[in-house]
Amino acid sequence: MELATAKAAIKPDTQDLNDPAYLRIRDLIYQISGIYHPEEKLYLLASRCARRMTAVKASAPAEYLEHLTARGNREAELRLLLNEITIGETYMFRSPQQIEALRNVILPQILQAKSALGFKRLHLWSAGCSTGEEPYTLAMFLLEEKERLLSGWTFDILATDLNDNSLTAAKTGIYGEYALRSTSDLMRRKYFKACDSSRLQAGEALKSLIRFDRVNLNDDSKMTFLKGMDVIFCCNVLIYFDLASKRKVMQHFYANLLPGGYLFLGHAESLYQVDDRFHLVHFPGAIGYWKPPVGYVAGGRR
Amino acid sequence: MSLLEEIRPRIQAMDAMPSVPAIVQPLAGLLQQEPDQVDLEKIVELISYDSTIAAQCLRMANSPLFGRRNSETVRSAVLALGIKRVEAILLGCCLNRIVPREKWALDPLTFWRHSLGCALVSSRMARLIGYPDAEKAYLAGLLHDLGILVNTVACTDEFRRAMQNAQERRMRLTESEQECLGFNHCQSGGMLAQQWKFSSDVTAVIEFHHDAAKATSARPLVALVHLSDLLCRLRDLGYGYYEAMGIELTGEDAWSMLVESYPSLEKMDLARLTMDIDGAMDEITAVVDGVFKPEAGAT
Repeated sequence: MELATAKAAIKPDTQDLNDPAYLRIRDLIYQISGIYHPEEKLYLLASRCARRMTAVKASAPAEYLEHLTARGNREAELRLLLNEITIGETYMFRSPQQIEALRNVILPQILQAKSALGFKRLHLWSAGCSTGEEPYTLAMFLLEEKERLLSGWTFDILATDLNDNSLTAAKTGIYGEYALRSTSDLMRRKYFKACDSSRLQAGEALKSLIRFDRVNLNDDSKMTFLKGMDVIFCCNVLIYFDLASKRKVMQHFYANLLPGGYLFLGHAESLYQVDDRFHLVHFPGAIGYWKPPVGYVAGGRR
Repeated sequence: MSLLEEIRPRIQAMDAMPSVPAIVQPLAGLLQQEPDQVDLEKIVELISYDSTIAAQCLRMANSPLFGRRNSETVRSAVLALGIKRVEAILLGCCLNRIVPREKWALDPLTFWRHSLGCALVSSRMARLIGYPDAEKAYLAGLLHDLGILVNTVACTDEFRRAMQNAQERRMRLTESEQECLGFNHCQSGGMLAQQWKFSSDVTAVIEFHHDAAKATSARPLVALVHLSDLLCRLRDLGYGYYEAMGIELTGEDAWSMLVESYPSLEKMDLARLTMDIDGAMDEITAVVDGVFKPEAGAT
């Protein structure tokens, strides 16, 4: 999927890619945002830089690096570059491996632990839900499991964002082909209704599962009350935060999660050196961050 | 008599298979030697025994993974790839021939993609943590699943059932083998490795890569390949089916074993390493298809 987008983007010639400035931009982006580009995907970063370089009239990557590090407006430029990097990341079923990990590993684990304590309620949170693609994806997944894994369970999704316009769009739930490009016909028929000739609108079954709310992840007073979460999704949001804020948000997430709960970030994001309380867990094709239950000893996960 | 004892004669008979003695035996000798003592001309000669293998070496030497060097002769391909890597290709190619097509329980391309993926991740990880012999790590990674070939040849039907069972229940292959065969590919692979007189450290990897803590020799290498194997299976370079697993690598026995010898591992950015593997995956697939899928060679 990513490759397809990349090929459509401007692909700089290979000579350009050997410019060491790209590696330095890559490392800078990783250090600041946590988004990582392996060497084979450097051309992707280069094509995103190319657009910004045109905009600021930088003639070489080294000159653009200067815009990102030494000029007065470096923070604004960095933000614009991050926008370019994450552009087009939002569509339904963007991270199928995260959903498969939920279905095959995480939910069986969480449901078993909660059942043992007599709980039959599940809470997911899409933190930074933007225009709603992620929470609607989760809602479809949960409804599909209603008669299987989740038989006898109640469940809901909290979807929050800081941006009012995004939230309004999310609540309305009208989507075009781009957002639905990975959504099967079956899912479209089951959970959406026709809106106009080219767009579909999320149906009541989906909407009734989701509670939309405006939340600033930096707002301690609000974050403190969002307790009892089983799984939190926070994709491409923390990349815009400085290290201190990232650490604070992670502390909140840790407290917001129930023991045994999981946090998922965007597929190219890493929490390295941001938080050492979460345990890094590998699933097929996905990485999750785990809050171990009380009394957990290393190696006892399986 | 257990199934493992029952198949022992069949494993012993693997020596007499037509394609084996010509290349495997001299190779086994070569594999024992230090890299600086290996006779380059001897290797080129071995390769020239077999035009298919020669073509495969050229293809790999000219693949993007090795810098598209435009090697035109076997000799320059060998120089481009490095002797240890050529030995690994040779071994991979002739092991591939031991298994008749109809016997495979899993897609041979999937198997070699996993083996080569594990070889590349093992050598990459070796370099990252400062393990002294990255080529050895590469070879051990390439050969770690020798037992899967053994099972495919020596107990075809039972192994096919174990594979199906694992796929259906999305479980680990070793657990399914234990259920269906009473042993797993580590044990059967270990037998053949000893019989073929593989070096003791590679044999240890073949025998203990799923239970690293039990290894009594070459412990860092066994642990390193264990972790690389896991990483590959978690990044779409596994056995071609969804293994329902969530692994905390730092909680693995192999992790603690490796940290004992290489403390720098503790600071390793595992998420980043994983994304590096993701990035290299397209190329690994291209190389495997180039080497093992004859019809892809023309493109």
